[in-house]
Amino acid sequence: MDLFRNKMRTFLTSLGILIGVSSVVLLLSFGLGLKEYIRQQFDSLGTNLVFVIPGQIFGNSGSGFSGMRSVVQFDEKDFISLKKLRDAIYVIPIFTKSIKVEGNAKVDYATLNSTTDEIFPARNLELEYGRLFDKPEVDKKTRVIVIGPKVIEKMFDNPVLALNKSLRIEGQTFKIIGILKAKGGGGFGGPDFDKFIYMPLKTGYTLNPDKKIANFLIKAPDNKPFDLFKEEVKMQMIKRYDEDEITVADSAQFISTISSIFGILNMVLVAIGAVSLLVGGIGIMNIMYVSVTERIREIGIRRALGARESDILYLFLSESVLLSLFGGAMGLTLSFLVVLIVQKFFPAYIDLMSSIIALGTSSLIGIFFGVFPARKAARLSPIDAIRYE
Amino acid sequence: MAEEIIRTEHVWKEYMMGDVLFQALKDISISINLGELVSIIGPSGSGKSTLMHIIGLLDQPTRGKIFISGNDIASFTDDKISSLRSEFVGFVFQQFNLINKLTILENILLPTVYVRKKLEYNPVEKALYLMKRFGIDGKEKSYPNKISGGQQQRVAIARALIMSPKLILADEPTGNLDSKSGTEILKLLKELNQEEKITVVIVTHDPLIAKQTKRIIEIKDGQIDK
Repeated sequence: MDLFRNKMRTFLTSLGILIGVSSVVLLLSFGLGLKEYIRQQFDSLGTNLVFVIPGQIFGNSGSGFSGMRSVVQFDEKDFISLKKLRDAIYVIPIFTKSIKVEGNAKVDYATLNSTTDEIFPARNLELEYGRLFDKPEVDKKTRVIVIGPKVIEKMFDNPVLALNKSLRIEGQTFKIIGILKAKGGGGFGGPDFDKFIYMPLKTGYTLNPDKKIANFLIKAPDNKPFDLFKEEVKMQMIKRYDEDEITVADSAQFISTISSIFGILNMVLVAIGAVSLLVGGIGIMNIMYVSVTERIREIGIRRALGARESDILYLFLSESVLLSLFGGAMGLTLSFLVVLIVQKFFPAYIDLMSSIIALGTSSLIGIFFGVFPARKAARLSPIDAIRYE
Repeated sequence: MAEEIIRTEHVWKEYMMGDVLFQALKDISISINLGELVSIIGPSGSGKSTLMHIIGLLDQPTRGKIFISGNDIASFTDDKISSLRSEFVGFVFQQFNLINKLTILENILLPTVYVRKKLEYNPVEKALYLMKRFGIDGKEKSYPNKISGGQQQRVAIARALIMSPKLILADEPTGNLDSKSGTEILKLLKELNQEEKITVVIVTHDPLIAKQTKRIIEIKDGQIDK
């Protein structure tokens, strides 16, 4: 086959497909990685959780955020009402606020979570140093805080040194009793869980004079269908609010909504990547036309020796498909190598479907862009071809 | 009565050369029987090569009929005509027309790549036999541009014979060879005709070559002269 004789030309022609396939496969793999990353983030929040949030955050169709404007604000009454759900393993109220923290004469910013002691098992938070606050401390409004490891990294060289020290939050002093293990997060505009400060709900009222509660986290029981329990939560809430004033959701809904947004974004990027495939295809068509012209006499000889039009068509078509497939395979290999490196930082991966799409698309490009030159070759008159100088 | 393998009836071939109509063949009617050794002779531009191309099914007449073993080819599809080119006729060209990037053995075997029926013999064995017979054995893995013109023409004849055709069409087969090689090639074609009863048609401008055949068809200005 001519491809093996003209190695440099084969390589250069395949380069377009190589670049196209690798950009498409890499974008797909990053999209998959992002999806996986989001799932991991929600999983790290714990499973079997129901979120109660003010406002309607999913559209009526259930997909896409339809404005994050909250029309109602939760308070202690809602907490008492939700605690009446007999099957709930726990109901956790959370108030969150961005805050300025000062310690060891240094200033930083963090996210306050005033809540109950049940937040720690619910979010799978583990302790690195010190202790967590308990129920009596929550009830007694003790001025203690448990912090993520990044909160004090600017202030203390060694986190152990921060233990039992004071931290000033918005001008008020709280005692650090525990430091959590790192949990990650913070990429792609998401929350950085390691910059969270946890404090008892009522202690936090000093920073939250309206005594608002931002949202509730409710752990569903294992022995009851999850959807049924979610419905019970909803029924409890609509005693006070209209159905469209609140959202009762689970992590799967969040994941699917975020994934669908990123999915669209990813498809747009993949489509842009596919343009380079088109350019690669045109390169193949160009070189196949050159190849046909160079081999007109050979085509004539083959026709004189009994080759049919279809034999000549397949001869050239198989070369363009091989050329394209070679580029596709190289592109896929390159993508695997890049993903292997990227995986150290980000859970990108190439699934079977991406590989099939990559190789399938390159074959189709080979056929599509090869068929015109191949047809030109097949339709040459044998006598004109053999006489060609 | 001898079996007719090819017949042309009132065959015309016309081309447009710019605005001028050029008549390469004018009303040619000939018949060639199985086992004949025929030469078609004429000066350059007389139409003899055009006639050979039409007889060899490489080209189509503008008007007139071609019969192969009594069958009018007008109704044949391109596939059928391609099969006839592969199985019925073997070509030997002045320019040898070997494919330079294929080895000698691959060149000889090329027609067998395009045959759709099952061959009753081992093509490689036959190719090696033909190479030995024509004195080019040991060159299987060589490439055409590494052997002499005389050897290349022997390869071309071996390629023409690989499918055991009934007809060999040789277009100026000695035109690119020195006289010694030319004589040898001619001897070989005559042997094939005499020993294997293969019909051989030699197109030439050289009366000395034409004289060595049993029948001479003379063409001049696209018409049969004798």
